[in-house]
Amino acid sequence: MLRLPDPKAVWGGTTVAVLAVLILLPIVLPSATLATEIVIFAMAALACNLLLGYGGLLSFGQGLFFGAGSYLASLAMIHGHLGLISALLVAIAAGAAIATAVGWLAIRRTGIYFVMLTLALAQMGYFLAYTLADWTGGDNGLLDVPRPPLALFGITLADLHGAGAYYAFVAALFFLVYIGARRVIDSPFGSTLVAIRENETRAAAVGFDTRHYKMLAFTLSGAVTALAGALYAMLINFVPLDNVAMQMSENIVIMTVIGGTGSLFGSLLGAGTFVLLGEILSAIWPRWPLLLGVGLILLVMFLRGGLWGGVESLLARRKEAAE
Amino acid sequence: MSGYILETRDLALAYGGFRAVDGVSLRVKAGTIHSVIGPNGAGKTSLFHCLTGGRRPTEGDIVFDGQEITRRPAHARVGIGMARSFQVTSLFQNLSVRENLRLASQGRDGDRALAFWRSVAAGRAHIERAERIMERLNLTAKADTAAGDLSHGQQRVLEVGMALCGEPKLLLLDEPTSGMGIDDIPVMTHLIAELGKDHTVMLIEHNMGIVMSISDTITVMSRGQILVEGKPEAVRADERVRAAYLGEAG
Repeated sequence: MLRLPDPKAVWGGTTVAVLAVLILLPIVLPSATLATEIVIFAMAALACNLLLGYGGLLSFGQGLFFGAGSYLASLAMIHGHLGLISALLVAIAAGAAIATAVGWLAIRRTGIYFVMLTLALAQMGYFLAYTLADWTGGDNGLLDVPRPPLALFGITLADLHGAGAYYAFVAALFFLVYIGARRVIDSPFGSTLVAIRENETRAAAVGFDTRHYKMLAFTLSGAVTALAGALYAMLINFVPLDNVAMQMSENIVIMTVIGGTGSLFGSLLGAGTFVLLGEILSAIWPRWPLLLGVGLILLVMFLRGGLWGGVESLLARRKEAAE
Repeated sequence: MSGYILETRDLALAYGGFRAVDGVSLRVKAGTIHSVIGPNGAGKTSLFHCLTGGRRPTEGDIVFDGQEITRRPAHARVGIGMARSFQVTSLFQNLSVRENLRLASQGRDGDRALAFWRSVAAGRAHIERAERIMERLNLTAKADTAAGDLSHGQQRVLEVGMALCGEPKLLLLDEPTSGMGIDDIPVMTHLIAELGKDHTVMLIEHNMGIVMSISDTITVMSRGQILVEGKPEAVRADERVRAAYLGEAG
């Protein structure tokens, strides 16, 4: 019996759930800005998931790609007077290039040494941004980042100043990235990435040059993370130095793990939970990350598949009960 | 072409001062089953590492199918027609049997699988090859079972199947029966004999019974060097071989 995966499957399953969440978020949440923040970080978590969940590569360089996207898109708009789409393309290209370089170096080692290399490179990026204060604003951050209208070939299609309009734009981009990511995962490349995660020696023995695959995973992840960074800068009209800091890498990894590694929809859940918890808890208690720590410990101990893993096992149990 | 698919010349692999492989010149004739045997520590596994690209020989060279491949990395040997199995089962444990074999088929095309914009379903040739090999291995009923959930014997069979997916000219098998129960061994022996009909097989094996029954040529190694080479009957009768194995026992 020959059963082929259905290429149209990209449009079924969790894609519908993602679409529903994207539509409901701004309605349910008190502000469209909060919804936008969630979707932007979901994009960063999704890119992290490609490396961590599918490739088994724990990268602490995600903040570097995010920050680079923020700075370079902003500088391109401020000094180069680029429009929205061109600025985003600059971020994507820069993110891809930087991530390729980081990947090229880091994948020469495996395990803990690989993680340390991504960390060291990200720290270099942080201090570079700190040192180049004339360009980045250093500690004060890069101020007055514009949010140009959506225009194509000089024709303005939409003004994005309203929070709702900007949300719609970001949500649409997220959806495109999500569909793209699903395609990537269902591609020969995606399946090879999983093979490398499962057993790298075997993957090499059947003929894959595993370094090329890991590097391409970095390139794609960096491009998407930088896009998220650029969108974030336009959201808050500002690039804080925090965007490129260690904490950012950490947050992105935490969101990915909370949502569930190896599930793209999980990234949306993870980012949503993280941003919302921060929003609610920080108003009650400024030391809320302590609670986050406790939550993370519980999650790792009892819900290894993350939130999405939990949802899946619940659904499976209900299905069993129904039968 | 001399009719030999694999040739090593004065191959040596030294770990510090210890020469695990010490000047081995070996020729594997195309279309045969060629076994390498020897007592523990004879250098069989080290020789195998050199042939598969796991280790770089310190001296000598390896010619495969007319090409010098001494320094080629492991992954780059698949595309020219070499494939290997592992002594300790090395599968994608959490993936289905079908996916294991499909990935192994995809590996034959090397970097072409970098195509992240295409669908796996577009690689029909890989899917079909996986199905064919699954049937040949009698694993079709287990197609959707995770490789890690197969019995040990089936895992050993799949291990050999992974190498077959590379459509190799030369199949390098590292102790295919290692860890197999007495009941499973005939299945493997039969499979290797079957494969020998349309592949060149080079086998490293500990189990003398298998080696004697299916090999065309046997090379006996001892202390990193070739002790005796010849047909099974000749090797069986050779005094030096007995001495080497008795030496191990004593």
